[in-house]
Amino acid sequence: MLDVRGRCTCCDRCASTSTAARVARRRVLKAAVFRPEDGPASGSPSPGSGGLPEPGELPRTIMGRIVDVSPHILVVSHGGTETRLTLTADAAAWRGGQVDPAGLFPGDLAVVRLQPSQRSVADRIWANIGRVTGTIIERNGKTLVVNAGRTRNTEVVLVPSRAASRIQVRFPNLEPGYLIDVIGLRREDCLEALVPATSQPAYRVSRLPAPPLVSGHVPDAISGSATWHEPSGEPYGLLGVSYPALDPDAGCAEEPPEGPVPGFARMPYLSVGSLLLIRNDCTATSCVLPVTGCAPVARLFNDRCLTCGTSPRGRVADLSLGSFVALGGELERGCFNATITIGR
Amino acid sequence: MTLLTAAEDVQIPLLSAMLLGGCFAKLVRVLQTRTVIAALGPTVLFPLHMRRPAAIFLCATEFGLGIGLIVTAGRLGRGAPASAVRVLVAILFVVATCALLELRNTRPDLGCGCFGEFSTAPVSSRSLARSALLAVAALATIDLAPLQPPGAGTAAATMLGILAAELALIGALSPELGEGLVRLGYTEPCELRLLPAERTLAALRKSSQWRRYAGIITADAPADLWRELCWRYVVFPGRCRDRDAEIIFAVYLKQRRPPIRAAVIDSATGEVLPWPLPGRPGRGPQPVPRPAAPGRSAAATGSAAAAAPRVRSSSLPFSSDL
Repeated sequence: MLDVRGRCTCCDRCASTSTAARVARRRVLKAAVFRPEDGPASGSPSPGSGGLPEPGELPRTIMGRIVDVSPHILVVSHGGTETRLTLTADAAAWRGGQVDPAGLFPGDLAVVRLQPSQRSVADRIWANIGRVTGTIIERNGKTLVVNAGRTRNTEVVLVPSRAASRIQVRFPNLEPGYLIDVIGLRREDCLEALVPATSQPAYRVSRLPAPPLVSGHVPDAISGSATWHEPSGEPYGLLGVSYPALDPDAGCAEEPPEGPVPGFARMPYLSVGSLLLIRNDCTATSCVLPVTGCAPVARLFNDRCLTCGTSPRGRVADLSLGSFVALGGELERGCFNATITIGR
Repeated sequence: MTLLTAAEDVQIPLLSAMLLGGCFAKLVRVLQTRTVIAALGPTVLFPLHMRRPAAIFLCATEFGLGIGLIVTAGRLGRGAPASAVRVLVAILFVVATCALLELRNTRPDLGCGCFGEFSTAPVSSRSLARSALLAVAALATIDLAPLQPPGAGTAAATMLGILAAELALIGALSPELGEGLVRLGYTEPCELRLLPAERTLAALRKSSQWRRYAGIITADAPADLWRELCWRYVVFPGRCRDRDAEIIFAVYLKQRRPPIRAAVIDSATGEVLPWPLPGRPGRGPQPVPRPAAPGRSAAATGSAAAAAPRVRSSSLPFSSDL
């Protein structure tokens, strides 16, 4: 019996240092086996080949706890390191809704996007933002218990009265068996849902519609919706993407016990380490990112992203928080219209 | 029979076919998903508690009017009954056109649902034009005399020609047609084909590429194995010129005689090593691969993982200061 499953899983969301090294090693090996016959002997791929943008060219992100905030300065702490950021008049903040940056509180968990040209200036701040995506397994009044995946803890979502109507418009079936995807404020023991991240699919998870049957090769570029997930167990600052169509032989621990369900978006099978060029169609920002995990929950949705125009159905990428923000995504919107190109 | 009369006569069977086709496509969708909600389409414009009854009402209306058009086409329902059915059909298509306009503005992500699962594409100008065309066709039938069977010769050919032209026009305006054609010609592309890794390894071990490199492979089980698109990559640890090496095979995902590429790289430097060595025959008798020593499994060997830290950290897609 082949004994490689254990080495290819993404049960830890493929975020450890050894996984990072494996990602890079696979690139080297692949380049070696497909090198031109008379090409260079080295298997190392040339960085930035093909004119693709590198992560370093993107606006950067800082995540940490707010230590101090004033009308002009924001101090964020992470792992004993404090970063002072300048707040300009253009800086915007979100804390359950649009607020003045000076209205944030020390102790808030912040995600800060820096201005592309000045790394010490904050462009956009999200405080205590959280997201729950999964299947409702229990409802008790305003509280929902959500199964967010096999390797994630069960989430508790509180739907407050002030946001109930807004959420119910997009999620009419807040009942066990239906999907939910909401964004809100992360509390100590639950997520206070404030914004629907998408429109609820009409079907129950147990009755997924059959994926569209199509012929011919999969196109190089696939369009759809790119979402983000909270960094549960991922290292700080990971730039990567959880891919909805990981090779079933990779033995993704997040897959349901009954095996992978077919996704709605028609996507080719890839593995951890495969490279994707992800383009934010709304901002025309793009970046090459590695596949660092699988996204079985994303396969359950056949929704569209409406951030700028109407995307084709299906989620094509579930980005790490840092990648989503770096690619110009607005966290409270939940998604951006994306086109992914498989690195060949 | 004039051209105009022939065109009017064609509309009754055409409208009836469209209504019954839409009704049956929705029913099939409902039976497949076992929920009426799947056939909602424009009925999502209704308040939540009215959507299900609205979907059922729409489906029943389409069925009733489709049958009504056929029944009243001849002398049986001439006069008021026939006119009433045709007026209702015209109203249905006018309302449908307005509903599609509203749907496009309020829920641009939804399809019209006109033909069940085939109508999942967002409402476009084509869908609107088709609905408007059918509304005009229905209006043209209101005062139509009972239909007569077409005579032989020119009259029948004229009717058939008009029917074909109108069907072609409706087809051109129907996003569902492309979806149907795609389904008819379905074959699974290799990027989506499920092929177990065990089968890939079996095909690899029968190949000439395997025989060429078998002498330098030092383990039975692969150190790493992954898939990308139509290729599966298999990495074995090995020894080449007294250096630790990795032999990588790229196996195309094909059932029989898959194309295979291979390369040997130095584990320490990542340099591609030429193999077979210059002056050494590439084929012919090769040393029998040594069986893996006890405990020298893929996990124990772990050449990819062991060599991994030697990869330039700058090529890693991680940021330490995000």
